[in-house]
Amino acid sequence: MKEEFVNVGKPVPKKDAYEKAIGRATYIHDLKLPGMLYGKILYSRYPHARIVHIDTSKAEKLPGVKAVLTGYNIPEIRIGFYKDNTPLKKGKVYAMRDEVAAVAAIDPEIAEEALELIEVEYEPLPAVFDPEEAMKEDAPLIHEEHKTNVLRLPWKLVAGDVDEARKNSAYVVEDQFRVTRVTHCCMGTSGCVAVFDPQDNLTLYSITQIPYLAQRDFQEALKAMGLTGKKVRVIQTTIGGGFGSKLDTHCYEYIAILLAHRTRRPVKITFTREEEFKYTSPRQPAIIRIAQGCDREGKLTFRDVQMILDNGAHTSWGATTPSVMMMPISSLYKVPNVRYTAKCVYTNNTYCQAMRGYGNPQATFAIECSMDQLAEAAGIDPMEFRLMNANEPGEVTPQRFKISSCALKECIEAVGRMLNWKEKRGKRDGRGVGMASLIHVGGGARVYKSDGCGTIIKVDDFGKVDVFTGASDIGQGADTVIAQVVAEELGVRTEDVTVIDNDTDVCPWDVGVHASRTTFVACNSALGAARKVKAEILKLAALALAEPEDQLVMKDRVIYSKRNPEKKIELGKLLRGAHYTRRGKMIMAEYFYDPDNEMLDKEFKGNFSMAYAYGAHGVEVEVDKETGQVKILKYVAAHDVGKAINPMLLEGQIYGGAMMGIGYALTEQMIFQDGEMKNPNFLDYKILTAKDVPPMEAEIIEPWEEYGPYGAKGIGEPGCVPSAPAIANAIYDAIGVRIKDLPITPEKILAALKEKEKS
Amino acid sequence: MRKQISFLLNGEKVEVEVEPHWTLLYLLREVLELTGAKEGCGMGECGACTVIVNGKAVVSCLFPVMEVEGAEVWTVEGLAETSPGGLHPIQRAFIDNGAIQCGFCTPGMIMSAKALLDENPNPTEEEIKTAIEGNICRCTGYIQIIRAIEAAAKGGSDEGGVR
Amino acid sequence: MIRYDYLKPSSLEEAIGLLKQYGGQAKLIAGGTDVMVDIRQKKYAPQVLISLRGIEGLSYIREEDGGLRIGALTTHRELEKSPLVRERLGALADAVDNLGSVQIRNVATIGGNICNAAPSADTAPPLLALGASVRIKGSEGERVLPLEEFFLGPGETALKDDEILVEFIIPSPPPNSASAYWKHTRRQAMDLPIIGVAMMLAVEKTEAPALKEAFGREAPLEELLGALDKSELVCQEVRLALGVAAPTPMRASKAEEFLRGKRVTQEALLQFGEIASSEATPRDTVRGAAWYRREMIKVLPKRLALKCLERILHKNQKEGGK
Repeated sequence: MKEEFVNVGKPVPKKDAYEKAIGRATYIHDLKLPGMLYGKILYSRYPHARIVHIDTSKAEKLPGVKAVLTGYNIPEIRIGFYKDNTPLKKGKVYAMRDEVAAVAAIDPEIAEEALELIEVEYEPLPAVFDPEEAMKEDAPLIHEEHKTNVLRLPWKLVAGDVDEARKNSAYVVEDQFRVTRVTHCCMGTSGCVAVFDPQDNLTLYSITQIPYLAQRDFQEALKAMGLTGKKVRVIQTTIGGGFGSKLDTHCYEYIAILLAHRTRRPVKITFTREEEFKYTSPRQPAIIRIAQGCDREGKLTFRDVQMILDNGAHTSWGATTPSVMMMPISSLYKVPNVRYTAKCVYTNNTYCQAMRGYGNPQATFAIECSMDQLAEAAGIDPMEFRLMNANEPGEVTPQRFKISSCALKECIEAVGRMLNWKEKRGKRDGRGVGMASLIHVGGGARVYKSDGCGTIIKVDDFGKVDVFTGASDIGQGADTVIAQVVAEELGVRTEDVTVIDNDTDVCPWDVGVHASRTTFVACNSALGAARKVKAEILKLAALALAEPEDQLVMKDRVIYSKRNPEKKIELGKLLRGAHYTRRGKMIMAEYFYDPDNEMLDKEFKGNFSMAYAYGAHGVEVEVDKETGQVKILKYVAAHDVGKAINPMLLEGQIYGGAMMGIGYALTEQMIFQDGEMKNPNFLDYKILTAKDVPPMEAEIIEPWEEYGPYGAKGIGEPGCVPSAPAIANAIYDAIGVRIKDLPITPEKILAALKEKEKS
Repeated sequence: MRKQISFLLNGEKVEVEVEPHWTLLYLLREVLELTGAKEGCGMGECGACTVIVNGKAVVSCLFPVMEVEGAEVWTVEGLAETSPGGLHPIQRAFIDNGAIQCGFCTPGMIMSAKALLDENPNPTEEEIKTAIEGNICRCTGYIQIIRAIEAAAKGGSDEGGVR
Repeated sequence: MIRYDYLKPSSLEEAIGLLKQYGGQAKLIAGGTDVMVDIRQKKYAPQVLISLRGIEGLSYIREEDGGLRIGALTTHRELEKSPLVRERLGALADAVDNLGSVQIRNVATIGGNICNAAPSADTAPPLLALGASVRIKGSEGERVLPLEEFFLGPGETALKDDEILVEFIIPSPPPNSASAYWKHTRRQAMDLPIIGVAMMLAVEKTEAPALKEAFGREAPLEELLGALDKSELVCQEVRLALGVAAPTPMRASKAEEFLRGKRVTQEALLQFGEIASSEATPRDTVRGAAWYRREMIKVLPKRLALKCLERILHKNQKEGGK
């Protein structure tokens, strides 16, 4: 579709970039309310222990302290989808990150001092830090009442007959891969401000990615606090990064709410960077066993995957990553027979959250490394192998995903071209190239019963448009693309559209900014409302211009007739005329868009998303065989995005995702010892700097997704999904050594090279 | 016990009472209501608190407030307020080149860029990367930030220097 | 936040007087990038910080007796920008090029880096390789100490309670010599070394056409080593210093002894590295494994030797050859 758009497809600057550039955006850390108190949390000193006694009397007496809470003086509030967590622990601590007590004081210094005055007596218990150990008969039980350390979760996907297919495969490879804990490292640390009004209605200033689901969670909490029929209002400040870290409601939020209620004053809790590293939830690690096979020609026959997930001591979204890991397992490339099981096991480690990709980077690491191994066994070039098995538009995968638009082949070919694949591949001289593909949901995802997003649009007397959306902007540009599509539809400019997206009192419902769904769902929702508004405007204009509606065009803030272009009226003038009269009309419309996708059934099958995003990344590396250091000579990415509504912001997602993926592959890891995090700072947690940016090239491929707004699909997560396997595959091409656990450090490479030399 | 300090802030003279143990970041954010500079780590490891003191980019979370006496300090807010149109060319370049996503690292990045271009109006890509090596960004992958600084350098020289 | 008073004496005598007055309750602060972090992490809680930034005449880089004198309050940024340092003290230039970040280098000082005495201090191996001494002033007068004797343990120096390090004395280098520093890190900036290796190498002649040619076209490591073997260069003097290889920055003196007077070849450099590795006592830490550090001590010195030789030959080129 070769249309010339005015706003869509243009590199429009991000709507809130101006206030951010002049330092006047208000993040949670910048927020101050009159009378506000500062909350601080005391954490456990042991990974596993009975709480024998807590004495808060000295803390309570410290001048300036307004409240001290423990698990013993608050109502029982069960949180997390598995309901195995409480905001403050009672009876036992299960991990070093467990919240034991909390203080609200008139300034943060006094709050910190008060924490030091709280005396907690513990009786340490034997602890377990390895999920395979925790599964054994004699392992200490984390939650005794569960009688087992294995969570009762139904993660099992079967399609076709894997055992039969395996028997009939010409080539089979089997191996084990490990992925470790990395963390979001949002530049803005966590925090919130909770305040109650005199009627006990709650307002939470928050950086959540799920304002409306959070409302629901906090309503439950209020009920447990004996407050029924109260209102919860969630107001988002400017958010300093999300990446999935705010897809659950967290202990500290409930603690702030409890402190605010106890003190009857606003209470702010913010995290230091050290607290952010130690006490927030990272990406889910996994131990992955994978077997894959193909026939003599190289067509994939089966994929068999088993995973063990270290669940940590409590449960958050990490335990649900298998539901997303199923996606690449069943639907990345054409694999007719698939089997997947995953066990989540309690340990005394930290527990995990959603993080960009939500299990996809983990699973794709194993799948795409294994693909290269299988290609080698079958004697086929890995790029050819991928093209041979690539998904195509119109197919239905073993998980019953209906693939609409799909440009996977084009992405793979683009990567091969950008890397000069044929020339560079197979030298084994210290330099090598590797690639990996990805699939991700790109048309929403029915994770919850609703995948919907509501929009309200009003147009004012001056032709300015206000869009109230349930979607959230976490820096990715939702505010801007929504404005662009509405502006396009209504014939105005992006700068004429204001997007309001941060107040549950004002904006309609949306399930949350996850699953790369916002462009697809929120823009479709905005378009639905915009089309209603347009219809109303055209009706009015037809009357005002005495021209038939089907002749009218909205462009450049003006409505004019195609057959009589001098018959035109400026939008603002039309709207003023419409309501400055008897029986006047205001132009407003609402639309709730819930995509036509399906919730996965009991067998985890169903068309989970309306559209699927594809892509491929490729890397050229040079490995220093003496030191094991890896240098990325070139990094390339090709993404099937349907249509780039804003190519500049879209590129930002690819580059940012790729750098996160490279960190995942080579340098990032949370180092734990006996349940304690040993590198809780930016010096020792190696997030990449500007000097680490390799030469990078990105290609955007636009096959046009029919269900997408202006043909667009999601891009938020795909950017970090295939980086690690692409790099691992390139290293193998360079030195014939495959590192199967992340991150791929120089030590691991050197040790593997020495091993290889010996044999 | 409070002490009095006097210094130039964003081109204007400021006299303020401080506690000697404060950092410059604390003074800016908690007392002078200039919350552009952020605390990203409090240990000088992320650059989100970068401001310019006597022409040099420094991490204000480690800058003792008493050392500010008699100094010339510039923050991101001052850059905007003292530029024609309320927007410095570097800020304009950041906005126009997709260099801002969540924006938390942005004030620090912009001040590091300003310090660079003041000293070196025509930096190479490598020199730009070095200038912002102490500013961590998790959102952008740095590429569009580097482009923005290159654009500001080019644009600046057309307008006769980035000031 | 820990509370303290902040004093800014305007002379060394005043500063020394304050140190004496406050005893263990005071801490000296220069750039503050170590002290402020340590206070925030509650490593100590001084009552008073005594700033050295108000004292004139402690920040300079100047020639003296064929060598260099560097004031302790000279910032890493000033060292980075100094043509004198870049030309004469290659290892130190290498260290400050990659130390922390620009923001850190703008305020952090070479004196502060050495007095903090971390095993990973980036300026330590270069200064050791350059044969530096330190000038110290205290209430009992002035003394000069070889840098090797300055480090007593991790975070511990030979400074008495009322003493201040004021100057680094770098002797005139031997003829036909250069120095270099290799900081082995996981990422390209804002990093501490897994291992740090500094070397000063002096050879007896600068005629090495094969090697010069290979350097000129940026030949890969193997080729450079091959050209080195052909060049018949003899080591007149060598200093090898290691960081993060022992409780303090150290000189690998046995390795130095081995190489002195020998032809600089691949084989010799390999042995050189192995001896150095056996002298070192690296540990397993969060930042790296001992075995890997030992391996790097073995393989890195030959790269440093090549870097030194490249600088020697290039300098010789600039000065019109010999």
